[in-house]
Amino acid sequence: MMASIARSSLLRQVALVPKLPIATRLASQQSAIVNAARVATFHTTARRDLLPPLPQRVEGTVNDAAPVPETSPSHGSYHWTFDRLVAASLIPLTVAPFAAGSLNPTLDALLCATILIHSHTGFQNIIIDYVPKYRTPRARKLFVWGLNAATVVVGLALYEFETTDVGVTETIKRIWTA
Amino acid sequence: MRLSGLQKEVLALYRQCLRECRKKPAASRKNFQVFARNEFEKNIKIDKRDFGAIEFLLRKGRRQLDLYSLPGVKDIK
Amino acid sequence: MAALRSSASVLLGAAASRPALRAAAAAPAAVRGMAQLADGAQHSTTASGEQPKLKTFQVYRWNPDTPTEKPRMQSYTLDLNKTGPMVLDALIRIKNELDPTLTFRRSCREGICGSCAMNINGTNTLACLCRIPTESSADIKIYPLPHTYVVKDLVPDLTHFYKQYKSIKPYLQRDTPSPDGKEYRQSKADRKKLDGLYECILCACCSTSCPSYWWNSEEYLGPAILLQSYRWLADSRDEKTAERRDALNNSMSLYRCHTILNCTRTCPKGLNPGLAIAQIKKEMAF
Repeated sequence: MMASIARSSLLRQVALVPKLPIATRLASQQSAIVNAARVATFHTTARRDLLPPLPQRVEGTVNDAAPVPETSPSHGSYHWTFDRLVAASLIPLTVAPFAAGSLNPTLDALLCATILIHSHTGFQNIIIDYVPKYRTPRARKLFVWGLNAATVVVGLALYEFETTDVGVTETIKRIWTA
Repeated sequence: MRLSGLQKEVLALYRQCLRECRKKPAASRKNFQVFARNEFEKNIKIDKRDFGAIEFLLRKGRRQLDLYSLPGVKDIK
Repeated sequence: MAALRSSASVLLGAAASRPALRAAAAAPAAVRGMAQLADGAQHSTTASGEQPKLKTFQVYRWNPDTPTEKPRMQSYTLDLNKTGPMVLDALIRIKNELDPTLTFRRSCREGICGSCAMNINGTNTLACLCRIPTESSADIKIYPLPHTYVVKDLVPDLTHFYKQYKSIKPYLQRDTPSPDGKEYRQSKADRKKLDGLYECILCACCSTSCPSYWWNSEEYLGPAILLQSYRWLADSRDEKTAERRDALNNSMSLYRCHTILNCTRTCPKGLNPGLAIAQIKKEMAF
């Protein structure tokens, strides 16, 4: 594992060596190989620089406090509380069909809606984590609207499915016993 | 010649250094200019694609500039 | 805390086992001299034919004076018979005897200053509280704290960490004077709430072990700062609790914590930042 990674990054390093006069090229190639071997010991997995670390930047002087963001409970405490409530309410809703044998359409629709909201907020958290606003504001916007669109589409599909077909729990039951 | 963003930053830092030199007393101004030039020439051989090293040196340079541009610093050897 | 106590007992035990030093142990001011004496005593015992216990330390090296060179690992081999029990002892010995250019922060060598925080064998810990594992002969790998800007060798740049600490206003905020004009009093029960919070030494071990902090250290405060934040939220004498909560009430500062609990696992002082963050979330929930 380690050896193969060392080799690949080594090749990459060698490929990076520019077109120079032969003598200097040989020397720099050798140093590149030594360097690559050294660098390779630092990586246990292949390098993928999606968002490489930026050079360090200190806002203001070292004695200034870091800026405090604006208060917005709808993105903070309300969001978190809502998240937990949805997650907690999923437990009885998932257990109910097992206990009752099947679900009536209202509860089934409720289960669908809760799962939809749950996955929406979950994906939201992932986007906030991995698409930082201060570095990639455009990608962030794209991802957020993409998620919104996906949620709407899935919501419509589920509505169609619930109203015109047998419903989610009944489908799972049929597939299970098929 | 078109310069990369990093090269522009280096030149901007050098220009800023020279500008700060003008605020120093006339007697020692020359020393400051020579010092700034020496600091840049020390690392002139660095490969222009060695971004990590150049970014680090820029950071270091800015810190040095902050320090030496204090009005209390009158002369430099 | 347990680790602290055990290291203290080891020091005492070691002192007691060397008869020549028993007198010196009574005077704590002579500790430094005692350590040197102890070294001398050990040298004489090993010279008389004891099996050398060799251990190799691989240490991360990077020198800012030659920025074009890539960071590398450098190996040092020490005889553990002549070295103290902790990793910091080994590092100090490497610096004294093998390589004076090795750079690391250290101060109190007893886990109270938090200077010697580093990544030892994959775990963030204080070098002064981390024993050199003697049961296996595997090399010890020492890196600076992960996901920090390195100043030199094992010295990380904690500027942003301290700036974040400053942003939570880590001091008592109060407008009303105390009724009798003396100090602000609190009940024993209120004081008990601060146990497990005030002991934090801000070594940054927990923050730099937190994946959320790795990705979002610009805006997320990280476990250490949130633990300190809760220390002031929980203080019965502080009167700006609402303002403190408002400062945390946004999507980044607090709620990037996903209860990964690396912080609690790594804390060299045995504190529980994960619990403190959960308490803040709970208090702010309704």
